[in-house]
Amino acid sequence: MGELIHPFIVYGFCVLGGAALCLALPRGGRSPQVLGALAGALIAGLALLALAVKFAPVLPNVYFYIFSLIGVGAALRVITHPRPVYAALYFILTVISTGGLFVLLSAEFMAFALIIVYAGAILITYLFVIMLATQAPQEDQTEVLASYDTRAREPVAASVVGFLLLAVLTTLFFRGVDRLPMPPSRVDDQALLADMPRKVENSLRSAGLLREGEAIREIDTGAGVVRVAAGGAVRDIPRSDWPEGMGVSNVEALGFNLLREHPGSIEIAGVILLMAMLGAVVLSRKQVEMDEEAKRRQAQKLGQTTGGISDVTGPIGGES
Amino acid sequence: MTLAQTGAPAPMAPSTLGHYLLVSALLLVIGLIGFVTRRNLIIMFLCTELMFQAAGLAAVAFGRYHLNLTGQTLVIFILTVAAAEAAMALALVVLLFRRKESLNAEEWQDLKG
Repeated sequence: MGELIHPFIVYGFCVLGGAALCLALPRGGRSPQVLGALAGALIAGLALLALAVKFAPVLPNVYFYIFSLIGVGAALRVITHPRPVYAALYFILTVISTGGLFVLLSAEFMAFALIIVYAGAILITYLFVIMLATQAPQEDQTEVLASYDTRAREPVAASVVGFLLLAVLTTLFFRGVDRLPMPPSRVDDQALLADMPRKVENSLRSAGLLREGEAIREIDTGAGVVRVAAGGAVRDIPRSDWPEGMGVSNVEALGFNLLREHPGSIEIAGVILLMAMLGAVVLSRKQVEMDEEAKRRQAQKLGQTTGGISDVTGPIGGES
Repeated sequence: MTLAQTGAPAPMAPSTLGHYLLVSALLLVIGLIGFVTRRNLIIMFLCTELMFQAAGLAAVAFGRYHLNLTGQTLVIFILTVAAAEAAMALALVVLLFRRKESLNAEEWQDLKG
């Protein structure tokens, strides 16, 4: 059936998106930032709409559009907002909407892990560092935006290169997805039950299917029966009788996949985390010598606020 | 149109996969442009996290298409690497900030060889 969508339409959207992002990047002074951000979000929406018009029968869920628009819009604000704290908060919005997309992709565990780890842990660390590493405002100043925050570096060149990359990526994706091998029409989601006899026993018992004195002898998911035995008598509980909640949940399946098929990777992940911890400890223990220029700058600043005491350079250099 | 899934997910159409890949590519490109254009060290690292998000989304979407869990397992490791990267990068940023009293990446231009 060829490409998902004509490549020239894709390129057109990429050019428009690049132009909008150019407008949206901060440039110091008054720049049409809001206009650019709005135009960018609008163009992303139009691109999705173009896909939707072409594939009217097999559209993704409507929540997909909501989450992806919020996510992309917030990501735009992350890179265009001049204040770092706001950028971090918008990033949390992106993380949450990515979590929503994960739920739509039936990856519930990863969705919540993403929100807990990213929005709960990593972003809080970022906020801490932003608070630590910004100069306190002077008394006579209200606006304390640093010049390196209000002015983007090479916005045009970066947008051109970035959206060129986007054009290539989307062309390849839209050409390639049709040639992917078809997914298996159904997977046996009950196969893992054979490894979870305790869960099977508990859910059968709470459903009243397992009588007093009976124990599970065998779980045959291929034939779809649970064989139970009481003394010498053996009887089968067929799949049609199994209670509703006895399926394998996403967390259980993911745990089996992680520990069975990637046990070595877990060790490597542990080593990575250990190294990161060691590295962070070593880095933050290090005594930092202030730059000569920074020393002079800080002395000047302190001199201004404290009314011209000029020989404060010594202790400041030492205290860091 | 239910959010919660019970049982095995149904197969996904290739065009739906294309939609998710489009969003993932958009996030990646926005992160890339942000990394290049912004001069604040912290925002630059935030943009790498954006690119991690994009990679994770693509991995999960492909895993959903092929109806296996390897994509989600990969996201666990992406989270691990992102956490390690955040710890190291933020320690470095604090160190650099203490030295120059500024978060401007261009203050460190003299590092280039």
